[in-house]
Amino acid sequence: MFSFTKKQEVLDISGIKIGGQPGELPTVLFGGIFFKGSPDFKKTEKNIQNMLDLSKKTGNPSIPDFFIKKEEDADEIIDFIENVLPKNQPFSVDIIEPNVKIKVLEYLDKKYLLHRTIYNSIHVGVTEKERKALKQHTPEMAIIVAFNPKDKSPDGKIEVLENGAHLTDKGLLAISKEIGIKKILVDTAALSPGDYSGASIAAIPVIKEEYGLPTGCAIHNVVEKSTWISKYFEGAKKTVDASSNVDIVLFGGDYAIFGPIENADLVFPIIAWQDILVSEYTENYFGVKPAESHPRRKFF
Amino acid sequence: MKNEYYPWGGDFTLCKNNGCVAVVLLQIDYTPPSEVAVYGPLKTENIGIEKIVANLISNPYIRYLVVCGDEIRGHRSGSSLIALHKYGVDKKNRIINAPGAIPYIENLKQEAIERFRKQLELVDMIDVKEKKDIDATIKRCIAKKPSCFGEPYIAIRIKPETTKIEDKKALHSRIIIDYMGIVKKRE
Repeated sequence: MFSFTKKQEVLDISGIKIGGQPGELPTVLFGGIFFKGSPDFKKTEKNIQNMLDLSKKTGNPSIPDFFIKKEEDADEIIDFIENVLPKNQPFSVDIIEPNVKIKVLEYLDKKYLLHRTIYNSIHVGVTEKERKALKQHTPEMAIIVAFNPKDKSPDGKIEVLENGAHLTDKGLLAISKEIGIKKILVDTAALSPGDYSGASIAAIPVIKEEYGLPTGCAIHNVVEKSTWISKYFEGAKKTVDASSNVDIVLFGGDYAIFGPIENADLVFPIIAWQDILVSEYTENYFGVKPAESHPRRKFF
Repeated sequence: MKNEYYPWGGDFTLCKNNGCVAVVLLQIDYTPPSEVAVYGPLKTENIGIEKIVANLISNPYIRYLVVCGDEIRGHRSGSSLIALHKYGVDKKNRIINAPGAIPYIENLKQEAIERFRKQLELVDMIDVKEKKDIDATIKRCIAKKPSCFGEPYIAIRIKPETTKIEDKKALHSRIIIDYMGIVKKRE
């Protein structure tokens, strides 16, 4: 359990705080919402409500992370966000296709939702068109994925943040600032087993000490790609998936992107438990007071 | 999985060691006939493609690469693989004309890429999902009985230099942690 020498930023999006020293704020949990075929909004509404209820119980803020795959689904998903999510609830949009990214930004702007939007994500594949669209329709917060295809170590991750590792004209942090994004979360890019998967966790304290920015990742993706678990231990997969998120907290991280959202019933108590463990040490040893909403205050 | 023919490992199934066909599956539930050498899924347009290239050139019996199934949105991994075969990479290691989001080949030497382009004939079946159509194409490739390409090419993974750290308590070359858990930047 750590305390960082570098001042740690605490960022706010629509009332949810993220960042700080370990033990200070509860870990923020992004629940991944994936749609297979046509979006099932009834099921999604139920899952989000369950996640919000769990947030109230443990104190860990929750953020629905909408994976938007197809352009034709974008309007419907954003309408759902506008009409069904609680009015101040922040959310993130996870999009891979550059054209869909631009369309979603335009539509979010039209619907006056950008102040609650976490853009997931900016990475070394960022295009000129995307940069232009982000300047025009700037989200409140963005996740920068520190994926470096050449060097997957913490140093390689820092390289893409600093100078783009020759893949972009400048570092991803500079690009984000130039766009006008003031609130940045760093994602340490969890990769498959065999591809230096542990580096995404080891990079958390390195990046926090280097920049003081809120840092986390989607470590559950590593479990998803551990085919040996599905093959030999199918019954344990969900448990391994949910518990993988504790690595982030133990290494000083501020948020976890877990998935799918259906795993929330397992992830929230696991992370609350881990937050309490960290807080007990960091308060006693470093004098870090847990926030009012911290799970340690909720249950003790 | 790793074996002598496929030194870079990955998520794939081995069939016939001296088979001449490898099959890349893009979002498709399909099992190729057992006469193929190897088959497996492709997810990413960078690391995934690198593994395919490195593993295929180490087995010189493989002469055809069939890419089938639904293209992966955003990543466009199948089309990026085809672009690599057609055009190679530019000076920045970006696959020329690749439509994927981050189509960079950073861990293979140019020589390995050229070997891949020469050894393999690529069969573009992106968007084809019918078992009978893919089976028929594979059979046609096998029927050509191509010769072995020669010696295996064992691709060396280009690795960045690692920093040696003398003190054992260090977390990383950039930071140190004292016995209490305080993290500091290394001077």
